[in-house]
Amino acid sequence: MAFKRKETVIEATDLNTITPEDAESRIIAGVKKYATNEPNWSKADANTPYLGHIIGMGIESANLADITMSIERQFLTKMTRRVPIEGTNDFRLEEGELGKLRILDGQDATAATPGLSIKMLMDFRHMPKSESYLSKVVGFAYISSMGEGYRLNESLKKLMSRIERLTDNEKAEAVQNLKTMVAQAKNYVNDISDSKRFAESKQKAYLLDKAAHDNLTGELALLQDKIKGLSSSNDHERVSALNAEQAELKTRIKMSSDKLRVSSEIASAADRRSPIEEAKVLEITSLISSTVAQAEKIS
Amino acid sequence: MLSDEGVRDIRRQRFLSLLVDWFIYLFTLAVIHAILKYKIKNFKEFRREAQAALKKHRGPLIWAANHLTMVDSFLIFWASVPWTSAFKDSQIPWSTPEIENYYYMGSWLKKYSIRSLMYLCRCIPIARNKSGKEGRDGRQDVSDKCAWILKEGGSVFVFPEASRARNGWFDRHNPKDFLGRLALEAPKAKFFCVYLRGEGQFYSTPTPARGESFRAYFKMLPAVVEGETTPRQISNRLFNVLGDLQDHWFEAALMLKNCSGNDLIDLKAPHALEHFEEDNEENTEWILRHLTDKEAAYWKAQPLDKRFSVFWKFFAAKEAASKALERSGISIPLGAFHSFETDLFTSKVIHRPTGAKLNIAFTDEDQDKIHCIAVFRGGAVGGDDIPGDILWSIDELPPQENPGEYVRDRALYFIAEASDDIPSPASLAVSIQNGLPVVYRSGRLLDISLSLSHSGRYVAYSFMIS
Repeated sequence: MAFKRKETVIEATDLNTITPEDAESRIIAGVKKYATNEPNWSKADANTPYLGHIIGMGIESANLADITMSIERQFLTKMTRRVPIEGTNDFRLEEGELGKLRILDGQDATAATPGLSIKMLMDFRHMPKSESYLSKVVGFAYISSMGEGYRLNESLKKLMSRIERLTDNEKAEAVQNLKTMVAQAKNYVNDISDSKRFAESKQKAYLLDKAAHDNLTGELALLQDKIKGLSSSNDHERVSALNAEQAELKTRIKMSSDKLRVSSEIASAADRRSPIEEAKVLEITSLISSTVAQAEKIS
Repeated sequence: MLSDEGVRDIRRQRFLSLLVDWFIYLFTLAVIHAILKYKIKNFKEFRREAQAALKKHRGPLIWAANHLTMVDSFLIFWASVPWTSAFKDSQIPWSTPEIENYYYMGSWLKKYSIRSLMYLCRCIPIARNKSGKEGRDGRQDVSDKCAWILKEGGSVFVFPEASRARNGWFDRHNPKDFLGRLALEAPKAKFFCVYLRGEGQFYSTPTPARGESFRAYFKMLPAVVEGETTPRQISNRLFNVLGDLQDHWFEAALMLKNCSGNDLIDLKAPHALEHFEEDNEENTEWILRHLTDKEAAYWKAQPLDKRFSVFWKFFAAKEAASKALERSGISIPLGAFHSFETDLFTSKVIHRPTGAKLNIAFTDEDQDKIHCIAVFRGGAVGGDDIPGDILWSIDELPPQENPGEYVRDRALYFIAEASDDIPSPASLAVSIQNGLPVVYRSGRLLDISLSLSHSGRYVAYSFMIS
């Protein structure tokens, strides 16, 4: 099966006939046109973020849907049968005829790297799960936190180079800023090095999402109570307005559930650190620690 | 003017409520302590000072508070009045809850139980949204009852915003006149202004989270001061006082006060044009992946030559809103475009999973670019007749410059230029916290909600100075 994309004809491949490594190479090749950091893209692997310029491919957030659609164009799947989800206008995909891959809204929420895109395809049963491949993939919780670490490191280096050119009061203020940033960097290193502490911070984010979800469920219960209370009245206009509100609220609850699923996955994966995640954490903490050591000489 | 029948109604309700006050107070106390496990951090200090102020003023009183949850009035009453004073007629305020929210709940039994409880808690239901003569007359009747209560030396509880603040922010720039009108009816009254909020109350919810810890502040002020002759003058003063109390609350808050964001689109950039060069199925699908059903319907209704800019307006609004929300502590998953719904007519964005609402504005719009600013809390986005609290600038990106570094440097210059007490950008430093840019000065974090954006030939930066 071939899909036309402008002048290029892309031969879509059945995800069940290729290895995860093959799929990964195709995904990386597919996003080339959106990558603004060519050097990072050319040496990209499973754990190179799509977004960001320091270690990422430099793809802009305006192209997030392009990444997803690029993946969809390249692969075929048997998960094509649409099964409606009761009470909503949404559907889920079950096994059917071989056809075009479709990534549903929200399913790509953690697909921040080619490796995590492959994980997404495995999670939603578009391709067989390969534990050996997944053991080489850094989880979303670590990818996003390490991205922040690299940006923090860059900020420290930039401030250090600026301080060299300053004098008097300006220098004194900049040194104060540097001291605070050094403390922030040390906190970052401590937090990410200790998997328990790291997991706790992700757990907090999960609890916030859980509270938001519970609130929406509470709002729905109130609304349903109102509908029940009003249904015996003759205010049909109001009842139908409340019914429309109820449908919208149910959609919002589904979105909130999707968000909760993501934060729950992140929270539960955060304290199960794999060897590759351990190695990546060591990489960023060593880098920051060395920058901090230089900064402490200045401050 | 309240009718004789209206007076009799109020007197009867007051008599019955006095009979059961002690029971309702103890019941509320038990629920707050044993089930909801709420606590007020500055409880002793707040109650002592509030009681002193309430006892000092013997005349009519208008309680005016911020509104974030459906139980705010109970919490404020509990914080301000000890059970020993719960029998004092003048200290028990009358409330005007929205009839749709409370009076038609569930089965017959539930509905009438709630109605009875509300009646005994001195509630006078109001239909704020009911149109026509019946609606207007109903609201006038409620207003007359409140005025009569005040003239008799009683107290009335009102939420000046009239509804819960979906963005979690009391907007001092948007005063409502009904409070001013009420004050003019009872010029000897005083306003008992209270700002109460939970430390984890990011936005409006039906109830605060279990175990929530609150802080509350108040100020007593005259209903009318010399020279005030119109409701708007009074409401302006009251809204400013509540705004000041809110600022005071945020001084000791764990959450950041200023939550704003910006986003810029270069309309001539290849990535902006790509999906609009050809009208085909794939491009339409790409566009619709970013829009909710409501947005898509609006977009499709636009003339063909407008669709390009309308789409990018939606996109920029969602991106700016997501930056503002992330600043407040709400996490936004990658590519969650359908989670945001933009109303270009009312200039609002709603985050659907949480219900949080943001105000937006488009600035510097021309054939080349779209720039959107969004404010969740911390100030006003500004408008034709309201000054905004957000400052922004857009620059062309010089060739060969790294956009990320350039926009950070320009932002620091801009912040320093905008402030009299920052001598130069060298005093400032940009770092990163929870994925967002933050600014330090003399080693201290500035709560100014810096937001950076780059697209094609331009960079844009904004910050809040409320």
